[in-house]
Amino acid sequence: MRNYIIKRLIYSIIIAWGILTITFVLLRVGPSSPVDRYILNIAARGQDVDSVKQAIEARYGLNKPITEQYFSYMGNLLQGNWGWSFSASMPVLELIGSHWIYSFQLILLATIFAIILGVGLGMLAAVKQNTKFDYAASIFSFIGISIPGFWLGLMLILVFAVYLGFFKTYYDTNYPIWSLENLKQLILPVMALGIGELAGYVRYTRSAMLDNLHKEFVTTARAKGLPESTVIGKHVLRNAILPLVTIIMFDLGSVVFGGAYLTEIVFGIPGLGQVSFNAIFADDYAVVVAVTLIGTFLVLFINLATDLFYTYLDPRIRYE
Amino acid sequence: MSEEKIVSRGGIKLPVHVNRRLVRYYWDRLKKNKLSLAGLGFIVFLALLGTFGPFFAADPQHVDFDVKNLPPLGFSTQESIYDIKTSTFTTTVHPGRSDHPLGTDSKGRDMLAMLISGSRISLLVGLLATGIAISLGTFLGVLSAYLGGWADNLLMRFTDVMMTFPFFLLLVLIVFIFGPSLTIIVIVIGLTGWTGAARLIRSEALSLRTRDFITASKALGASDNRIIFNHLIPNVASLIIVMATLSIPGVIMAEAALSFIGMGDPMSTSWGTILNTGQHTLDTAWWVAVEPGIMLFLTVLSFNFFGDGLRDAFDPKATV
Amino acid sequence: MSAKTLLEVKDLKTWFYTRRGIVKAVNGVSFTLDEGECLCLVGESGCGKSVTALSILRLFDSPPGKIVEGKVLYEGLDLTTCPIPQLRNIRGKDIAMVFQNAQSALNPVFTIGDQIEEQINTHRMHHNGTAREKAVALLEEMKIPEAVGALKMYPHQMSGGMKQRAMIAMGLSCDPRILIADEPTTAVDVTIRAQIIYILQELKARRNMSIIFITHDLSLVREIGDRAAVVYAGKVVEIAPVEHILRKPAHPYTIGLISCLPDISTEVKRLPSIPGNTPNPMDIPSGCPFHPRCPSVMDICHTVEPEMLNISGVQTAACHLYDADIMGKR
Repeated sequence: MRNYIIKRLIYSIIIAWGILTITFVLLRVGPSSPVDRYILNIAARGQDVDSVKQAIEARYGLNKPITEQYFSYMGNLLQGNWGWSFSASMPVLELIGSHWIYSFQLILLATIFAIILGVGLGMLAAVKQNTKFDYAASIFSFIGISIPGFWLGLMLILVFAVYLGFFKTYYDTNYPIWSLENLKQLILPVMALGIGELAGYVRYTRSAMLDNLHKEFVTTARAKGLPESTVIGKHVLRNAILPLVTIIMFDLGSVVFGGAYLTEIVFGIPGLGQVSFNAIFADDYAVVVAVTLIGTFLVLFINLATDLFYTYLDPRIRYE
Repeated sequence: MSEEKIVSRGGIKLPVHVNRRLVRYYWDRLKKNKLSLAGLGFIVFLALLGTFGPFFAADPQHVDFDVKNLPPLGFSTQESIYDIKTSTFTTTVHPGRSDHPLGTDSKGRDMLAMLISGSRISLLVGLLATGIAISLGTFLGVLSAYLGGWADNLLMRFTDVMMTFPFFLLLVLIVFIFGPSLTIIVIVIGLTGWTGAARLIRSEALSLRTRDFITASKALGASDNRIIFNHLIPNVASLIIVMATLSIPGVIMAEAALSFIGMGDPMSTSWGTILNTGQHTLDTAWWVAVEPGIMLFLTVLSFNFFGDGLRDAFDPKATV
Repeated sequence: MSAKTLLEVKDLKTWFYTRRGIVKAVNGVSFTLDEGECLCLVGESGCGKSVTALSILRLFDSPPGKIVEGKVLYEGLDLTTCPIPQLRNIRGKDIAMVFQNAQSALNPVFTIGDQIEEQINTHRMHHNGTAREKAVALLEEMKIPEAVGALKMYPHQMSGGMKQRAMIAMGLSCDPRILIADEPTTAVDVTIRAQIIYILQELKARRNMSIIFITHDLSLVREIGDRAAVVYAGKVVEIAPVEHILRKPAHPYTIGLISCLPDISTEVKRLPSIPGNTPNPMDIPSGCPFHPRCPSVMDICHTVEPEMLNISGVQTAACHLYDADIMGKR
């Protein structure tokens, strides 16, 4: 087991290295660099372009050989030097440190919302297979999967904030994170982000439950005289949950991060998505790269955690 | 039961998959799923609209501030103007007009023309990017399965790296670096979206590789190319078609999301672009945000329904 | 000797309403089970013996399955109609089941100990000692080595024979009065089979427990059974003490089954078999369901379904051959 964890950690590091390298290459082969964009502004002010360009390149080491640039880029990242945000006038890591909590609370709440409701509805739909409830759940999940989260966000604002006036149309950072007001203003964003996930989980849970609902050990559990709630909620669910864990964790990595990014923009939540969104329009390179890398590392970490969690859930799996 | 036409070659029977009876058989199965047919109907409608619509509709980029914020037919808006001289409010009612049946946006652009342009862009991006992604994925998957050994290992590890990237963040990063244009968006989605296809096709091809008819053609001295293109690929064809259908909605949503956050091609009008303008006029012109969202939602829903029906039609174990 | 009747199954019919038609898996099964008796349900695969067992405790999937007719009387209580909570108190406590394939009948993600203790705790049967102590005692009774350690094992960590014995231990955990064993030896190899039969024989003697033993294997019937009921096409066609069934079977189907038993004392070139196939439970032949395969078939067999007829005081069979009226007219 320990060997497996070490192996996985090494593997994750290799993947992380691969991703850093790809990012580096992308930045170098891109047709425009931040220097060029900066230069455009300089040129507009009528200054000598070439000398300024050389000065900048010298300052940031861009005139050195590409391999040397590569190593210093990796070195800086490893030392925790993720660069300087021009638009926020602070180190990138500091900027991220002050904004991550807004993304975190949104993703955490939306995930909890989606898992509890999605798994619950999916279980019910499976138990009541081929009833009206089951069909309704199925239609709902098709709609939920097909509705673009950011548009759903806009529609929620339109109905509940603009017309009904239940909520403010913008996110208010004056409320402390742990306040009821903050929780209330997160209701719409959490729904916008969570409903797509929820709909997916309803489908996955339903089919995972159905896969196990007619297994022989379920008959055994009933033959033991267990109440139906224990049969379904313990014996079936515990087996159905195995494929679900993988799907939910995978979703968290790919879909939720993308969805959270958009949800933050729609609702004006100052999380990492909003930060990197603003950075894009301010040509603030280091921030965009940093947020992408952090997202990637989180996904790597979640993948590893999933595998380890899995060994706990399924006693039949022992990694070598 | 699947009716495979059996062709005898040199005494060994080989299944030939593409034939009219088989297509007819699948179509009959698909026809039984009404939701799937409805989805197909909407996709056909959209394709006709996107192909021929722009020849008849107005110029979607035409700005006319005289007719800004016109509601769709059947709706009306009220405008209250305070007259300082008389100290009275004059309320003017603007009803929808038949020359702009779906209304206009804040710059007076015709919504109908913009939506038609959007359906062209969405389908184009969806089909092209999915085409690239699925072709690449199929090629790499079959290659990986066929080569085996270290080449297979290397390709699959590379797939892992690609899968780990949070897709949307990567998309934003690359479009940020290379600049927003439809070509870039299509290429980026195509070059990043192949991982799932590669994995699925690889595992399918691996299980096919051991089947008797492949062994038989090897025994007959068929070349590797022949085995891959005449046997492996036709046998995973149904899988490829289903996967392609079900990946299109994701691509369409990704393009819409990119355009929505302002990273779409500024030279063309897509649904995401309209949503981008619409989100700022939720209180004055709700239809600008509502209409493209409905189109987007219906398109994604249709592809999901159709893809789901296709999967069942192709699955010999599913009852339709 | 006439012991008290514990369980009485009367004309039980369990049908499955599937998309393709009605599967009449159990189509009129009747038998009684006395205290301390081992009754064997014998028949070919697909004849409805397993569904009969499941029907006693209403454990089949419903829908599509439904008991359309008949009664299952346990001490006067009709298990086919009593409310579910009442039935739940009987399941696992008064009447326990052991399934054919322990590999799939045990839940793969819980330890053996958890699964046994769960049943003990559900029925609050741990008055003397804790559930754990009881579970250890049960595994020891099943001759599982290192019972304490075995409790912490997951099913996949055990051998096939151990799993099956753990399964029986679970069945016995609440000291049931009736144990329904559905082909408990089919999935294990011969040496384990002998062990399990030995365990069951011992249990019957020591605990005075009634057993319904379901099997397709007549040689097992000889070893363990007191009486045997032969099931064909969802019906009991003959019931008699095991010696009668083996020595002087009455129903032509039973006669056929017995003649298929290989006899090692004589050399045969080819094993005999009953011609034809077991009927499709969706399309059971009219009249006597066995008539298409019966060597002594008569005209009446095509149309009239035979009743259970008393042959000797303890032996009954459903066959027109033993109907004096019909045979007299010929």
